[in-house]
Amino acid sequence: MSTEILLRFGYAVGIIVLGLLAYWLIHQHLLVRARNNVSALFTQLPNKPVIVYFTTPDCAPCKTIQRPALNKLSSLMGDKLEVVEIDATQRPDLAKQWGVMSVPTTFLLDARGNARYVNNGVARVEKLMQQLRTL
Amino acid sequence: MTSQTLQKVDHSVLKTNQIIIITLNILAFILNQWWLAAFVALMMGIGSALKVPGFGFVYKSILRPRGWMKPDVLDDNPEPHRFAQFLGFLFMTGGSVALFLGSIVLGWSLVWLVVALAALNAFGGFCVGCAVYYWLVRLNLPGFSKQPPAGTFPGMKPKASANV
Repeated sequence: MSTEILLRFGYAVGIIVLGLLAYWLIHQHLLVRARNNVSALFTQLPNKPVIVYFTTPDCAPCKTIQRPALNKLSSLMGDKLEVVEIDATQRPDLAKQWGVMSVPTTFLLDARGNARYVNNGVARVEKLMQQLRTL
Repeated sequence: MTSQTLQKVDHSVLKTNQIIIITLNILAFILNQWWLAAFVALMMGIGSALKVPGFGFVYKSILRPRGWMKPDVLDDNPEPHRFAQFLGFLFMTGGSVALFLGSIVLGWSLVWLVVALAALNAFGGFCVGCAVYYWLVRLNLPGFSKQPPAGTFPGMKPKASANV
């Protein structure tokens, strides 16, 4: 009886690990997709970290939380950071290319233009700062 | 987007419901007890009939009063979440019946499907049942009328707190 439970526990762990792996792969896929489409945004890389921020005009949390957070971050980092804002209603092609499903969505690119983080939903200053430190 | 009236939906209740469903279903699998899966199906069915999350009472009577979970109230439509629970109830009922009749693979596959969808909702913020609901709205099916909150991909959790 206990052997069967242990075996089934092992199966359960295996299934959960496979599920997590699938989730991680999808996340990585989004980052790879972003990396492949950086050239659509820049003719020349700015050689500093970039936050690509997808928004829409009627997105309330973008106005009340995400935009102020990015403004604060910009004032803290000055010339060391570039924020690129994209209106997904004006550029649906870019939103589709980058795999954006909701707004706000922020992608963090390192100085070489590699997409390193993606935040689906509001990302507060502390979180963005923490991510920027690792770039 | 539309100018429809959204309601205050506490996503902590939904999350609690999903986590309990995940936990009980995994326990049912490990202990090989089909009746536990049937119990989850029953609670989801009762929840669907009463238009509340099946295990929402755990949050309301234990977790919130003791401060173990805080409300996460968002402007949202409750209807897609009810529909998602009803879909889960159908899958769980199918799974439980299959297990009772001895179709082990089909039964546990359906149970694990519910676990996966509940986990995606609880930890990934994407409600597949809600996405199906909004897809049915686009097909103009009677009884399906709500639009996703502005700026939110159908099925994704809205990001703005109602009290922001």
